[in-house]
Amino acid sequence: MTAKPKDQLISDISESKTDMTPTMTIVRIFDAPRPLVFEAFTNPKHLVRWWGPHGFTTPLCEVDVRPGGAIHIDMRGPDGTIYTMKGAYHEVVEFERLSWSNVVDDTEGKPSFELLQIIALNDHEGKTKLTLQVYVLMSTPQAAESLGGMETGWSQSLERLKGLLFTL
Amino acid sequence: MTPDRLSSIFSALADPTRRSILERLAFGECSVTELAEPFRMSLPAVSKHLKVLERAGLIVRGREAQWRPCRLEAGPLRDLSAWLETYRRFWDGSLDRLDGYLQQLKKGDLHDRKT
Repeated sequence: MTAKPKDQLISDISESKTDMTPTMTIVRIFDAPRPLVFEAFTNPKHLVRWWGPHGFTTPLCEVDVRPGGAIHIDMRGPDGTIYTMKGAYHEVVEFERLSWSNVVDDTEGKPSFELLQIIALNDHEGKTKLTLQVYVLMSTPQAAESLGGMETGWSQSLERLKGLLFTL
Repeated sequence: MTPDRLSSIFSALADPTRRSILERLAFGECSVTELAEPFRMSLPAVSKHLKVLERAGLIVRGREAQWRPCRLEAGPLRDLSAWLETYRRFWDGSLDRLDGYLQQLKKGDLHDRKT
């Protein structure tokens, strides 16, 4: 597997691409100051303590938190399966914003599609509001041509379709 | 569902015309001519989109030579939403743990300040 497609892809993600509709949005309020929440996301010592759902452990966590820096986190499921997340940071704004992308490989180990994850932190009534947005980006050649079309956002259509599917 | 399959579904859904085609098919099967009508598109252009959807497994086409009706295949879309649900559970579970961990950290902070 060559590193080239990943590098290319990461440089292609401009700010403008992020006006696409996110595939997933999660909003949470944490009763903790913003710097502490940011620290929990950027310090491996803290990351390993909460990364992954209950019952999962984090045997490996290497993060180079700066634009272009690498992120590599291995998560171990209760059955011993290792889930690897490897990618690179894009935006790092201290205490405010963090984004990174990671490539999901296909069964042959070639990059298949890429997820862009954006964490935004805001003050909220003495607490911290965290907004997580996940975007799906493409990496396959046939997908590259359709990236532009993503800007209208397919997740809303998907929601509509899911509604229609119940009528089938 | 394998990432390869997911990738082809994501690609197919990335195009607004193809999403509209799927929405139309959700109401029942159609011929290519019927599908082409609302898009002011040539039949070959529509056929191209249908091929992408067919490759992604999102539609199936009848074998009758004259009238090859297109039908929506619901399975891949259900698989896709299942995958997205799993991914959401990863984040929900992680953020639950983060919530608890932040409370521990805060207590630790207070303790540090007192000493």
